[in-house]
Amino acid sequence: MSVSTAPETDREVTTSELISPDIPWELIVWNDPVNLMSYVSYVFQSYFGYSEAKAAKLMMQVHTEGRSAVAHGSKEKMEAHAAAMHGYGLWATVQKGGPRG
Amino acid sequence: MAKAFSAGRRGITGHLESAERDLLRKLFSDIISMLEPDSPAHEDPLAALIGLDMDVSVPSDPALLRLLPDAVKDDAAASLEFRQLTERSLREGKIGALRAASLGLESDKLVLDAEAARHWAMALNDVRLVLAERLDIRSEEDADKVHEVQDWDQAEDVDSYLSLVYNFVTWLQESLVQAMLSSLARKD
Repeated sequence: MSVSTAPETDREVTTSELISPDIPWELIVWNDPVNLMSYVSYVFQSYFGYSEAKAAKLMMQVHTEGRSAVAHGSKEKMEAHAAAMHGYGLWATVQKGGPRG
Repeated sequence: MAKAFSAGRRGITGHLESAERDLLRKLFSDIISMLEPDSPAHEDPLAALIGLDMDVSVPSDPALLRLLPDAVKDDAAASLEFRQLTERSLREGKIGALRAASLGLESDKLVLDAEAARHWAMALNDVRLVLAERLDIRSEEDADKVHEVQDWDQAEDVDSYLSLVYNFVTWLQESLVQAMLSSLARKD
């Protein structure tokens, strides 16, 4: 990295420090033997606005791996998503995310 | 016998027999009774306005706990705080969907727009979650076992009867959600 870009980098670090407490949260949806695969796909498509392919991929991950991190963002946003998922009857929890994914 | 739901230009349509409507009405009403809060809305107008409920506790009935689950894993204090902020409105939302679905049972033919279909799917899902808890469905194997009970002549005890009801509601929800998915695909 060239020295001349250093001030630019410094400023970016400061910005990310300011917003970082809000970023690393995720919404986990858990598998259960009751919710229909079609219904879970429908919820992911209609509530999150995910494409059919993305919704199917996340749904399969819930089904085969037992859980999937389906959304990332601020704590407040993930909590609102969790309440919405409970409204649909899906079991969702919020947690501080590790590395994304 | 009920007809499978189908998606058309006028929305999603379905047909239920009178006995099936009576059964669903009873199921919806049972779940509504489970979900109605024990205590009246908070007297503090601001707390009532934002749906805050400090008296809330973790449901002791496992079926109710499945409808109103913990939102933070392995953290009872954080989960309780979440309940205080959200549980009352979660209960109200679920009751609203169950009531809307119940109202739709007035006629044998169902014609659902996107919002009504969503309420129906949520209501049927909550019915299935409660029945699954009563039937002890904990694994895919348990679910398969319940699924094998298909003949109404087999209804000789409470469990086999509940299994048949569960399978009927599952079939109905699957058929409805397939119609909803094809409506979504049509919009894209």
